[in-house]
Amino acid sequence: MPLDMAKYRRIFLEEATDHLGEMSHALLSLEKELEGAEAIDTLFRMAHSIKSMAASLGYEPIADLAHKMEDRMEGVRRAGRVRDSRELGVLFQALEALESMVAAVADERELAGVDEALLALLARPGDRSDTVGSPTSVAAEVETVHPKKALS
Amino acid sequence: MARVLIADDASFMRQMIREIIEPEGHEVVGEATNGIEAVDLFKQLAPDLVTMDIVMPKRSGIDAVKRILAEHPSACIVMCSALGQESLVMEALQAGARDFIVKPFKPDSVIATLKKVIEKAD
Repeated sequence: MPLDMAKYRRIFLEEATDHLGEMSHALLSLEKELEGAEAIDTLFRMAHSIKSMAASLGYEPIADLAHKMEDRMEGVRRAGRVRDSRELGVLFQALEALESMVAAVADERELAGVDEALLALLARPGDRSDTVGSPTSVAAEVETVHPKKALS
Repeated sequence: MARVLIADDASFMRQMIREIIEPEGHEVVGEATNGIEAVDLFKQLAPDLVTMDIVMPKRSGIDAVKRILAEHPSACIVMCSALGQESLVMEALQAGARDFIVKPFKPDSVIATLKKVIEKAD
């Protein structure tokens, strides 16, 4: 018996929207504390869950981006902290791209491919050349990387 | 036919597994949304088989497998894995999980894996 994919699309939109909200909260909390283990774990699990759901429905661009974000968060988990404001900025960019793609699914618009530059940024956690500033005071630095998400 | 406990934090995945296995005559006796619930529900329900997600909150699927098998060495547990989780699947199999199914789920593959595991356990 074939699965009712319209039903799973609805469930995906509900769960993905919830997950993206949790990820946003987690990133905002990491702005204050780069070592926040719970927030790091939440980001890893939510990216993993979105990846699996999107792959089940054939939303490959979403699955690809979520997979890269999951991989990046696995590295962050091993390190025990987000490295710096630049890394946080990349994660905010990834979240924003995921939000945009899930919105496209909700609006029944065609999914565009993932921004290759963003995938490349997510895939290079070991690059120290972009390290900036103090790890404990990052809001202003995040603003330079990602103005929309910076703390006021 | 088996009494099955589904452990996955995503409602999407729990429903999908249920929808795949119920037409085959299996009975879903419970659903767990994290590793702690999975262990607790296993004790309460004594299912014939568990489908266990690896990445779950509070306690991972791997940890839940180890806890269940420590008390119930004959428990039949099938891991639900995703791309990139090969090493975790190996850890679960070494801990005593019987087999694994891969996301995104292919109904025929899920049914065949569960059938194989149940037949071996009988």
